[in-house]
Amino acid sequence: MHRLALLRPHPVLMAILTGLVFGALLLLLSGQNPLRAYAEMVRGALAPRNWNNTLVWAVPMIGMTLVAALPLRGGMVNLGGDGQLVIGGFVAAMAAIYLPLPGPLLAAVAILSAMLAAGLYAALAALGQTVLGIPMLISSLLLSYPAIGLTSWAAGFPLRDTATGLAQTLPVPEAARLPMLFGPVSTGVVLMALVAAVVVWADRRSVPGYELRMRGLNARFARYGGVPTARQTVTVMFLSGALAGLTGAIIVLGTHYRFINGALVSPGYTWSGLMAALLAGGEPLMAIAAGFFFAALQTGGFAMQREIQVPRVLSMVLQAIIILFVSLRNGRGAARKEDRS
Amino acid sequence: MQWELETTGLTKRYGRLVANDAVDLRVAAGEVHAVMGENGAGKSTLMSMLYGLTRPDEGAILLRGQQVRLASSLDAIARGLGMVHQAFKLFEDLTVWENVVYGAEPRRFGFLDRRSACTRVQELAQRHHLAVDVRARVRDLSVGIRQRVEILKALYRDARILILDEPTAVLTPQERDGLFAIIRALRADGRTILFVTHKLHEVMELTDSVTVLRQGRVSARMRTAETDADAIIRAMTGRSVNLSVARSPATPGAEILRVEALRVPAPVRGAKPLVDDISLSLRAGEIVGIAGVAGNGQSELIEAITGLRAAEGRIHLNGQEISGRSVAARRAAGMAYVPEDRALTGTAAGARATEALLMGRQHDPAFARHGVQDGAAIAAHARDLIQAHDIRITSERTRVGTLSGGNLQKVVLARELDFDAPLLIAEQPTRGVDVGAIEAIHARLVAERDRGHGVLLVSAELSEILGLSDRILVIYEGRLIAELPGAEATEQHLGLLMAGRTQEVAR
Repeated sequence: MHRLALLRPHPVLMAILTGLVFGALLLLLSGQNPLRAYAEMVRGALAPRNWNNTLVWAVPMIGMTLVAALPLRGGMVNLGGDGQLVIGGFVAAMAAIYLPLPGPLLAAVAILSAMLAAGLYAALAALGQTVLGIPMLISSLLLSYPAIGLTSWAAGFPLRDTATGLAQTLPVPEAARLPMLFGPVSTGVVLMALVAAVVVWADRRSVPGYELRMRGLNARFARYGGVPTARQTVTVMFLSGALAGLTGAIIVLGTHYRFINGALVSPGYTWSGLMAALLAGGEPLMAIAAGFFFAALQTGGFAMQREIQVPRVLSMVLQAIIILFVSLRNGRGAARKEDRS
Repeated sequence: MQWELETTGLTKRYGRLVANDAVDLRVAAGEVHAVMGENGAGKSTLMSMLYGLTRPDEGAILLRGQQVRLASSLDAIARGLGMVHQAFKLFEDLTVWENVVYGAEPRRFGFLDRRSACTRVQELAQRHHLAVDVRARVRDLSVGIRQRVEILKALYRDARILILDEPTAVLTPQERDGLFAIIRALRADGRTILFVTHKLHEVMELTDSVTVLRQGRVSARMRTAETDADAIIRAMTGRSVNLSVARSPATPGAEILRVEALRVPAPVRGAKPLVDDISLSLRAGEIVGIAGVAGNGQSELIEAITGLRAAEGRIHLNGQEISGRSVAARRAAGMAYVPEDRALTGTAAGARATEALLMGRQHDPAFARHGVQDGAAIAAHARDLIQAHDIRITSERTRVGTLSGGNLQKVVLARELDFDAPLLIAEQPTRGVDVGAIEAIHARLVAERDRGHGVLLVSAELSEILGLSDRILVIYEGRLIAELPGAEATEQHLGLLMAGRTQEVAR
């Protein structure tokens, strides 16, 4: 089915093309050669020697894409990715630094406690909706701020590594760090690939996946068919948060080796991930592809800035234009739907 | 002869589907002209082209012999066309006269001239015998009166040709009679009425001529006086349909469903409850019909029984108390449910037939083990149901949103009957379904009863209630106000009860 859809001039591809055309116009207006800029972007993202950079960016990007895609598949929105991400990163760092456990076990426990903590924190937003009637859009977003604030304070004051002048915790012990595969790429890549495969499989083959998809297509239909939607909301948000926690743990244990204030939030993984998930309408495989595409766009942007001094914000502009055109298509599609009875 | 409204070769395609195929419509001045057809025959497409909402691909529209191009409904209104849609387009919080003049307000010094607007609407209503309080707020008005407001809106813009799209679908029999009187008066006033419907007796009673559409084409064009119901049905379906259901008397057995003092509170505080202290009982082997005009609490009653809506009171199904339990638990206790709205509740447009037909049985060991779906079993099950119920669909992987109303209803019915549950709740089971499919659905409901299942039938369609029910309960403003044996009820009698006029019935 997806293969067939890809053979036609897919609207998403059209949106990407439109984005590139607009981007080219912008570059022309600012006196740059668009072909050269795009060539630098492509080389920066896809030339073999740059794969590592793209992968390092893609792992958290795909993680946060799945964080958004999972609830979106059921018609829900998790806007609290940032909060769940920092909780995951923070808990992973704390567990790795302070738990007296041996080697690989320490890494495993750190990752699992990060997932558990972030999952529970996300489930709190779900309970806000199912128990108190606070729309999850609001509860998930608002819960983000205290999480960011508290971890920032903890890293800046009581738990600060006084040996450095920055708001960051002590480094995690060598034993808890994710082993490196090649260059800057850690085994986090393998972990994320496994998790992504499980999500895609569960979406297509499992009963909970079926129930979630049906809810996304028509929530009332799911309720009518006996899907316990309130419980489902909490479970899905827990899993979504746990994925954010995993992403935070992979960054902390695989790249930064400590919790650095602001370092998880500032690259904007959460929001780019949300956009990638929206681009795919929540379908996991397409979302992963979109997440990968955005990651390539970002690393390509860095390379372009480095090589020919075109500011890398162009990648964000392209990303925004593409999303805009995809949603335009959705809006027009809805308006065109007519009653022929 | 010069026609008031004529189309020649009007064609509209949606992708591969030809919704209207060279439609020639000829409407004489001052007549009531019925446009009939099954669901999906192309009635709505034709009307939206006439009203400027949809642009035809080919063909022409002629008004009094002049070809016109209608780019929007404003064009249509400017040329003397008016339309009353099935779903009214009124501002609930505005008064009747404000709704009527909206968009064409009389002005004085650039400001709305309230007094003259109000008087003009008042005069218009009186001249056309439309009894409406023009100062009332629309939210306080019944459906029948709102429809009059819509008609007033069209008349205020001096519509010479009035299109009424299934105007009787939401009315009580008495309100319908009132509407017919208004239509006759408008005809006497020289206006032309285009009356879209799929109810035969209304066509016979009211109209002067009929155009029948079938699969996007005109299949018959006749004078009402010179034809009969049978000929029209043949033109609509290509065959005659038996509208009355043959069935033996019921042999009720054990009690299947007992509802005690059920109450659904109003969404706003202080308003009267949507379901007000309803108790009822249903036995195995009988069909109990709940008759009522839409909006009198029947939807809420059913939602409360099925678990989709919170309610006070007790419900017993098959000897188990199910009040307060989840939808899944209620289904497991022996409940199947054909909901009122197959597109909004009964299916999801984006779901494949396999997925739509699985709903409710996703945990059944026949289709899933340890949370992993058995794709082959699910597909085989879907194919079986598609074949058994003659669902017209390309494959079991097709998305059900592409199906016509009747076929979609078959999907819902196939799934729910397959539960083989002792209680079947059927809510408006034939709404918007074509005549051929109605017969099949009615036969299925009677078969359910004869197999010893209890059927709770909710319908706004009197002929359906009368033709199927062993017992009839009448619901009015959230209360059950009458119970009568199906065999003794008449349309007139039931109509009065549905309008809440119990005294007149007693007299």
